Amino acid sequence: MATRETGQQEFTLDTASELAAEEKGARIEGRSPWALAYRRLRRNRLALFFLAVFLLICVLCVLGGRASLYSSHISHLGVSDSNVNGFVTVNGKRIPVISQAHTKIGPNGQVTLVPGNVPIHPQWGAAGGKYVLGADELGRDIATRLLYGGYNSLFVGIVAAVICTILSVILALVAAFFGGAPDWIISRVFDLIWAFPVILLGIALGTALSINGFHQGFHVGGHFIGVNLAGGSLWVTIAVISIVFIPYIGRPLRGQVLALRQREFIEAATAQGAGSLRIMFTELLPNIASSVLVLFTLIVANAILTEAALSFLGAGVQPPLPSWGTMIAEGQSNLATNPWLSLFPGIMIALTVLSLNVFGDGLRDALDPRAKVRIEH
Amino acid sequence: MRFKRGRSVAVAAVVAAALALVVSACGGGGGSATTTTTSSVQPSSSAKTFALLKVVDGTTDYLDPGLSYRLESWQLFQDTYLGLVVKAHVSCQTQDCTKILPGLATTTGTVTNGGRNYEFTLRKGLKYSNGQPIKASDFKSTIIRDFRLNSPGIGFFSNIVGIDACEKNPTKCSAINGIQTDDSTGTIKIDLSQPQSDFLYILSIPFTSQVPASTPQKDTENPPPAASGPYYFASYSPSKQIVMKRNPYWKKGEISSVPDGNPDKIVATLTDDQAQSAQLVASGQQDWDGNLLPTDRLSYYKQHYPKQINFFVTPSTYYFFMNQRLAPFNNLKAREAVNYAINRKALVNIRGGLGVVTYNFLPPSYPQYKKITPDPYPYNLNKAKQLVQQSGTKGQKVTVYTISDVAVDKSTGEYLQSQLKKIGWNAQIKELAGANYFTIIGNQATKAQIGFTDWFEDYPYPTDWFNVLQNGKNITQVHNNNYGNVNISSINSQIEHYGHLPPSQALSSSTNDAWANMDKTLMVQYASTAPYLNGILTSFFSSRMYLPCDVFDDNNDDLAQFCLKP
Repeated sequence: MATRETGQQEFTLDTASELAAEEKGARIEGRSPWALAYRRLRRNRLALFFLAVFLLICVLCVLGGRASLYSSHISHLGVSDSNVNGFVTVNGKRIPVISQAHTKIGPNGQVTLVPGNVPIHPQWGAAGGKYVLGADELGRDIATRLLYGGYNSLFVGIVAAVICTILSVILALVAAFFGGAPDWIISRVFDLIWAFPVILLGIALGTALSINGFHQGFHVGGHFIGVNLAGGSLWVTIAVISIVFIPYIGRPLRGQVLALRQREFIEAATAQGAGSLRIMFTELLPNIASSVLVLFTLIVANAILTEAALSFLGAGVQPPLPSWGTMIAEGQSNLATNPWLSLFPGIMIALTVLSLNVFGDGLRDALDPRAKVRIEH
Repeated sequence: MRFKRGRSVAVAAVVAAALALVVSACGGGGGSATTTTTSSVQPSSSAKTFALLKVVDGTTDYLDPGLSYRLESWQLFQDTYLGLVVKAHVSCQTQDCTKILPGLATTTGTVTNGGRNYEFTLRKGLKYSNGQPIKASDFKSTIIRDFRLNSPGIGFFSNIVGIDACEKNPTKCSAINGIQTDDSTGTIKIDLSQPQSDFLYILSIPFTSQVPASTPQKDTENPPPAASGPYYFASYSPSKQIVMKRNPYWKKGEISSVPDGNPDKIVATLTDDQAQSAQLVASGQQDWDGNLLPTDRLSYYKQHYPKQINFFVTPSTYYFFMNQRLAPFNNLKAREAVNYAINRKALVNIRGGLGVVTYNFLPPSYPQYKKITPDPYPYNLNKAKQLVQQSGTKGQKVTVYTISDVAVDKSTGEYLQSQLKKIGWNAQIKELAGANYFTIIGNQATKAQIGFTDWFEDYPYPTDWFNVLQNGKNITQVHNNNYGNVNISSINSQIEHYGHLPPSQALSSSTNDAWANMDKTLMVQYASTAPYLNGILTSFFSSRMYLPCDVFDDNNDDLAQFCLKP
């Protein structure tokens, strides 16, 4: 029975038979764990709402930012186009995008100065779609940069999480399945990376790689074979984030595989003559898939946050490419007078991470209500 | 030198190389002796003494005159460490602040042998702040100490006879034949290998300011070396606080070119946070803000404290270097295109208005400055595009270098990158931390194509600009200050010729004209760099201070001359 000791039934612990029984007249039949999880997830409205929020952010950033639909049809300013001397019509009035300074030197060298360089505030709809969220100190459109920066942040976060998850799963399977020397080596590598605070390790790697990139490999017939990351490339940031989070997924998964390794079905597979690779990828992997999926969503959120932190500190996405982190850093010097420069990307990061975390929690509850999968720092 | 905000300076190596490499025997002149006149500067008549001046200023590198190469220190050194000669403590706005006046010496020296031999006599009865007498031999020991410290200033002494051994092994330096001193008569004789137009100016910079021979030959900061000026450093806590007090052995009016000073004590709180320092002064907790007012808050402070802010044009030039050893900037048309592509008014605007548009390399405060007219490169994007097309470099990858941790420098670099993209290059940007920026772009291995840089004078003579920054003979593999690798043989020869004149000819109108022509030739005919503005600094005072006492001389505001409202 899928009831607790109290006898009270909990919907999150329902079984195939109970679910089927709820549907009057339905034929009782077994459902796959994925179908059950989907059913549980569907009931979690909050998780679905935040999934929708996350997907909306993704669509806006991909279409508006990467595909330049916003900049080419609405703002008419590219992501890095400065407009220091430009003007914009607001409610029929032509005003400068950046206030102009006036400096005069008198005959005795005395300086008369009218300060400038204050960018236009958010215009919302008043400027015909231009400068909806205002301008930065170079007259660049904040909304354009926010969308493009969002694409970069999401791209870095998602791709880094994918790479990190794949590497972690492979390492966890190899370590736990083979044990012995491979386990010892991989575990020590996990410990080594774990020993460094994520941000410090990220800064160290990011700073070192951001100038000259990473080039390791060899030339064969004029072709380079190996890893060739140009300094300033998004892939440098992705590589850094992928590496620093490996133990955060690898260690819990290794623990799960170690437990599964002792189970009868593995012994049965071994007895039937299944090879190591087959056992790892057809027997063990499906049994940790739900944890991998949950960890992946949480790692995406963490990767986005780490990207923002590294970019804020100058060790992540390199200019002129914007990201939400670099935009916050750029707005820092104008925080007193133009807080929106940092505020908007900050809100976007918060919203994205919140939506991923809430959805990740919902997914965890749906996949395995008893699971205690958490990312711990 | 480069202006504060955490930047490193690395000029000395180049100056050393420059002077060491000079082989042409130019200039010369007669063998007649020339004794320059003495003149005095009276402190402001409205000045009056008061007990305590509290200021907030940027952090600095050292508080040892043998080691520091930062404007923040040099500003304080003008009232603590004096040289044989000093720069006039007068406002650059109203008087000639580039004038060299007698300091510890009785005159600005007797020059003989066509500008090769200098002789000075120390004033009698002078004492350091620790009570020790100031002796002629201290000058020699100070220069030797500079070498022992491997000071960034040792390059300035390369023209002194017998300096070779010290240059080869600075930390073992023990004797310099070209400097002879006599403590009994107070005479100091300096022999140069060849005439040097800027030698008197070099004698006015802190690296030559005398300290007692007993000063340890190591970084001496707490307390800093004994002072020879009207003030001494009572204590120094790096990055936190400097306390200056009146030198008990300074006699009022002792050296007429150096004001006695108004505050009895000066306490400087050190921070690089512009917003914080401005707020400390606005709230009345501090009397003066030595940091630049934050550009985004200029309007606010200007509006709320209109009578408490002074603005001064500094002897500085902000410019973009273009590496002539690398494509596309080995092509004149490409360099001209950059000059047409940048809107200099926009660049001033990015600094909140704290700048004056320029097309010259020399700042306007120089007697050698002649404004280049008409504007040689009015902003014209179409013309710039044509030039890029004509140069055959359209579509080439160009990497712009700039500083990442100073907001306006970062914006300046990003603006340039945006403009270069508009005119047809595949422009990228590389932003580096200010602490390493000049070291990295000054390394030939970096192959920096184009980027932001600026220059604040060490001393007011054109050699500090052209010899260091535009002379092809001074290009070095590392610590190179000629970031554009400008190397035009005719210009190199002219720099060396006019850099080696006796003092009597160094400031003649024909020499001044020659420097001005060099400026124009380099900027217009060769488009060697893209200068865009002369910097403006802010001086923000609390409500109790009297702004007419603010003397902005060649070392920025002279704190000793600050006074309270009557």
